[in-house]
Amino acid sequence: MVLLIRVSGGDLLDGGVHVDDDADLDTRWCCEVGAAVYPFHHGLKSPISRLSISWSRGNSLRVSVFAAPSSVESVEDDAGGTVVEVKLGGGDGEISDAHWRRIAYGSVSPFALLQSRKNAISSLSKMSMNSSPYDADWWDYIMEYSKDINALLGSQKPASVPVIDDPKSVIVKGEEPTNLKAAWELLEMFYAEKPSHLCLPERLVDWLADFDSLFSGTHPTVHSKLVDFQKELVNLQVVEDNPKYWEVMSSALAVGWLDIVVKMLRLHGSYQLDQLSNRETENGLVEAVAVLISKMPRMRLDQEAGKLGECFKAKPDFVKAREKWRAQINKLDSSAFWFQCAHLQTREGLRSMLQIMLGNANSLCSATCHWIELYISHLLYIRPLTVGLESMYSLAQKSIQLKPMASAHRLMGLIIGILGENTEVVLAECLKGFGPWMVVHAIELLTAGSDHAEMLLLEERPNLGGINIEELHRLVYAQVLSSHPLTWQIAPIYLISCMKHGMVLLQILLSKQPVQHNQLLLKSIEICRLYELHSITANIMKIAGVHHWKHGRKGSGVFWLQQARDEYRLNRIAQQLFDSVGKTISDESFKQWEGLIQLLGSDSKTAGGLEFLHKYRDFKKSLQHVFDGKTTDAARRAVESLISLMKNPSTPQRFYLPLLYDSLKLLNWKDRPLLNVSQTNLLLTKLQDLSLARLRPDFIESELPPQALNSVRLALATNLGRAILEE
Amino acid sequence: MAFAAPQNPSRVHRIPQSKYIDAVRWLSPVSALDRFAAVAYYDTDTNSPSIEIICVDPNPQASSPILTPQSSWTPPSRISSLKTAHSTHQPILAAATFSGSIHILVSDLINGGTVESEATVSELGFHSGPVSAVDLREGGTECVSVGEDGRVNLVSFVGDSSKLSYRRIFDANGLVGYTAVKWASPSEFATGGYGFGLQWWDQRRPGGPVSQFKGNWCQGKTSGIVHSIDIHPSRKHTCLAGGSSGTVFAWDLRAQQQPIVLSGAGTGEAPISLLSESEVWEVQYDCYTRSSNIGDISSTRILPIMICSEDGILAVIEQGEEPLELLAEPCAINSFDIDQQNPSDVICSLEWESIAILTRNRTTNDFGFSIERPSFFWPVYLELLIVQYDYETLQESDNWTSVVTRK
Repeated sequence: MVLLIRVSGGDLLDGGVHVDDDADLDTRWCCEVGAAVYPFHHGLKSPISRLSISWSRGNSLRVSVFAAPSSVESVEDDAGGTVVEVKLGGGDGEISDAHWRRIAYGSVSPFALLQSRKNAISSLSKMSMNSSPYDADWWDYIMEYSKDINALLGSQKPASVPVIDDPKSVIVKGEEPTNLKAAWELLEMFYAEKPSHLCLPERLVDWLADFDSLFSGTHPTVHSKLVDFQKELVNLQVVEDNPKYWEVMSSALAVGWLDIVVKMLRLHGSYQLDQLSNRETENGLVEAVAVLISKMPRMRLDQEAGKLGECFKAKPDFVKAREKWRAQINKLDSSAFWFQCAHLQTREGLRSMLQIMLGNANSLCSATCHWIELYISHLLYIRPLTVGLESMYSLAQKSIQLKPMASAHRLMGLIIGILGENTEVVLAECLKGFGPWMVVHAIELLTAGSDHAEMLLLEERPNLGGINIEELHRLVYAQVLSSHPLTWQIAPIYLISCMKHGMVLLQILLSKQPVQHNQLLLKSIEICRLYELHSITANIMKIAGVHHWKHGRKGSGVFWLQQARDEYRLNRIAQQLFDSVGKTISDESFKQWEGLIQLLGSDSKTAGGLEFLHKYRDFKKSLQHVFDGKTTDAARRAVESLISLMKNPSTPQRFYLPLLYDSLKLLNWKDRPLLNVSQTNLLLTKLQDLSLARLRPDFIESELPPQALNSVRLALATNLGRAILEE
Repeated sequence: MAFAAPQNPSRVHRIPQSKYIDAVRWLSPVSALDRFAAVAYYDTDTNSPSIEIICVDPNPQASSPILTPQSSWTPPSRISSLKTAHSTHQPILAAATFSGSIHILVSDLINGGTVESEATVSELGFHSGPVSAVDLREGGTECVSVGEDGRVNLVSFVGDSSKLSYRRIFDANGLVGYTAVKWASPSEFATGGYGFGLQWWDQRRPGGPVSQFKGNWCQGKTSGIVHSIDIHPSRKHTCLAGGSSGTVFAWDLRAQQQPIVLSGAGTGEAPISLLSESEVWEVQYDCYTRSSNIGDISSTRILPIMICSEDGILAVIEQGEEPLELLAEPCAINSFDIDQQNPSDVICSLEWESIAILTRNRTTNDFGFSIERPSFFWPVYLELLIVQYDYETLQESDNWTSVVTRK
C-alpha cells in the first residue's frame, strides 16, 4: 500500500490522503486504479511545515499537521498545529459498524459455549477411549451454535402480516436480507445439517427464494423481474394480454416459487364473474395448471404453512407421486382443450409453464436469469433426486456453462467452493467477502463433520510459525476486535481459544490498555482475574499507581501500588512524600493526611516505607494531647511513640532533628525525667548519626531555627544527667 | 411457607443501541402515559458524547418497548456521573464530565421532552481531572461533586444564573481521592473512596469529614474502591456502599467501625453467599422488594437493596437471605435505575451497547405472607383486598391454584 498525502496550505485549508493499493507513485494514475481519496479539513491558516502520519486505533490514520512558525506576528488564537484522524475504508456497505459490533457481541456466547462443549467432549472421549467423538449430541450442539449465530444476523420473517390480503401484491416484503445471512445459511445447510442431505435441493430452493434479491444489484434476477412487474400490475386492466405476465410467471415457476405463481394465475381475467361464462374452457385450463402446480410433489422434511406442494419424506413415495404428477401434466399437455382456448397468450403461456414443469431444459434456461436460478430449476424439475456433492457440483458446472457469470458475486463464489468441496476456497471466499468474523465462526461449521477439513485446518504449519489455520484466523479476528475501544474486551474469549500464541497476545493486549480511568482499569484487572494472569494484574496496577501519582492523585497512586505490593516504588514515593510531610503536617492540614494514613493501614508490609507516616501521625497526636492536657500519662505515651519512631529503621534521618525538636517539651519535663538512661543514649546516638549524615552531600537540611540542634543537645544532656541521678 | 421456588417472573427487554451507554436514569413522569429516561451516550466512532432524553413506549403490540429519542444535548466531554432530582415541575439532571465540569440540565417533558443546559461550572480550579461523582439534593437546588483529586465542591444554583457558584468544602490535595458521593440530609452527605473508606460530612461543621469509616477493614488483599453509595431517606444513620470484589456493605454511624457486610468480601464470621466477585458498579435501595421478615423491622436491619456488577449480575440482596438474581448478562451492567414512581421497572445500561428494561411481577412469596398475617395485626377487609389484588396478578402464574387452596 502506498500512501500519498497532499496538503494544501494557506488559503485552501484542506488536505487529502490518497491510499493506493499499488506501488505506483503517479497520483493522476492512482485515482484511476481504485485509489481512495479521503479529504479532511485541518483548518490551519499558516502554511504547513511538517506532517506526521501514524496509525491510530482500528482502521484510522492519525495525521498531525504542523504549521510553520510565524515569526512576524503571532495571532493568539492561531494554533500551531492540529491532529486529524482519517478513517480508512467504508467497511461493508450493507452492514454498519454498529451492526457489526452487535454481531460481534452476540456471537461471543455461542462461540464460548461451543468451545467449552468441544473441550468437554474431547476430554470425555479421551477418558473412555471412544474413537468417534461425533455422536448425536455433537450435531445438536453444532446446530444450536449455528442457529444462535443465524438469529443474530437478522430474522427473515416479515415484520407484520397484513390483515387483508392484497390480491395484487405478489411479493411480500420482509426485512432486507443481507449477504452475510445468506452466506451463513449456506454454510449451515451444507455443514451443520448433516442428516438432511437428501433434502438439500429443496433447501437450496428455499434459500434462493429468501435471497434471490441479493443478486439483483449485479445480475438480472427473477426477483427483480417480479418487483418490476409488481409496479406495472397496479395499472394493468387485462393482465393476460401482457406478455410480461406470462414471462414472469414462467420464471417464478422455474425457480419453484409456487405460491407466487398460483396467486398470479388467479389474477387471470377468466376468473372474473362476468367473463366466466364465455371463457369457461380457458378458465378450466388456467385452474388445471394452478392445481397441478399446487400439487407438485416435493422431497422435503417439513412444509411451512401456506407453502404449496405435496411433501414426501421417503424416496420411493416421492418417486411414485412424481411419476403420477408428470403423467397428469403430459395428459393435460396433449388434451384437446387447448384448441378450444381462444386466447393466444393464455394458451402459449400455460403450455410453456407445462414445459417447465416437465423439465424442458430449453424452457428452464430461457425462464431463468443467472446460473444459480438455472441450477435450482434443474434441481427442481430435472434431477430432483440429486444426492452427493459431486453430482451437485457437476450440475452446477453445467449451469455455469449455460449461463456464464458476467461478474462474480461473493455468494456465487462461496457456493462453487462449497459444492466443489474445496475448503480452502470456501475459507478464502468467506474472508474476501465477509471478513474475519465470518471465517472464525464458519471454521466451527467446516470442521464439524469433515475429517478432511479438520485435518487441513488443524494441521500445524511451520510457515505460519507453528500454528494452524484455525488459530491464525482467530488471532486475526482478535486483532480486529482489539483495535476498537468497545470490542477489545471480547477479544480475550477468542485469544484464549488459541493454544499457541493466544495467551501471550492476551497479556500484550491487557498490558497495552489505558489506565487513566478506573472503569477501564478495573475491566483489565477483571479479565486478568478470570484468566489468572496475576503478574499482569500487578503490572497494570503499578502502571496505574505511577500514573495517578504523577498526576498528583497521591492517594490513588498509593492505593494501586499497595494493591500491586510494589514495595520498591512505595519506598521511592515515600521519600517524595516525606519532603512534603515536613512542611505540611502542621496541625491544620492534618485532616488531609488523615485519609492517606488510614488508607495505608497498620500493615507495614503493604505500606512499604510509608509505615513511618503512620507512626509519625501517632506521635503527633500524642504530642498534641501533651500540649492540651499536660498529664504525665499522655507524656509517657508520647515518649513511647518517639522512641519507637527513632528505633524504626524506616524513619528517614532527616526527620531525626525535627522529631527531637518537637519533643523538647518532653525532654525538659518538669516533674521528673521521662526518658531513662538507655533511651536517652539511643537518642544521643541518633543525633550523632545525624551529624555524620550531614557531612554527606545529598543530605537535606530541615527548616528549623539554627539553634535547634544545640537546644536538643542541651535538653538531652540535661535529661541524661537527671535520669542517671534518678536511677 | 412451602412454596416452590418462585420462577423468575420478570420480563426483560434488551434494546440495542449503536453507542456506548455511560449512564441511564429514569425521569419522574409528568403524566401517567409517558415515561422518559435520560441516557448518557458515548459514540466511539465520532468520539462524541451526548445526553439524550428518550421516551419509553411500552408498545404492547410489538415484542419489545420502543425507545424514541426526544432531544439531545452535547456535553464537552464524556459523562462520568449522571443524577436526577425530582423538582416541583421539571426533572433536573446533574451531569459530571471527565474533563472536570458539571452541568445542570433541565428537561421540559410536557413540550416534547427538550433538554437544555441551565448552568455550567467548568472553571479551571473546580476539579483537576475528572469529576468522579456528583449528587443532586432532593428538590434540586444544590449538588455536591467529588473527584480523585481530593476536592469536595458544593454547587448551588438558586435563581436563573447561567454561571453557577461553587464552594470548596474540602481539598485533600490528592492525598485522598473520592469516587462516590450521596446526600443524606440537606446538610449532610457521605463520600466513598479507596480502600473501602467512607467519610461523613456535615456542612455545619466545616474543615473536614466529621466522621470517617476506616478503610482496610477487610485486611489486605480484598481491599478495593467504593463505586456507589446510597442512603435511605428514612434511615439516615446507615450508609450503604458497593465496590470492588463484589463487596456490598453498610456503615451504621452508631456502630462506628464495624461494617455490616451484605455480600462479597466477608469478615470471615458467617459464610456470606458470593453473588459476584467483580466490581459492584451501583447500589440502590429497592423499594419494590418487600422485606421478607416484616416482624424484624428494627432500625439495625438493612432494607432490601439492588446491585449491578461488572460480571453482568443485577440482583436484590437482603440481609441474611439468599440474593435474588434478576439478570445474568454475558457482559457488564454499568448502571441501573429503579423507577421511583413505578418501582417494579428497572432500566439498566449494558456494556454491549444496549439498554435493558426489566419489569418485575410480584412473586408468590409476597402473597403467601399477606395471607399468613394474624388477623389482629392485619384487618380482615384489608386482607380481602389483597387477596383480590394478588389473585388478579397471579392468574397468569402457574402455581396460583396452590396459593388459593391454601387459604
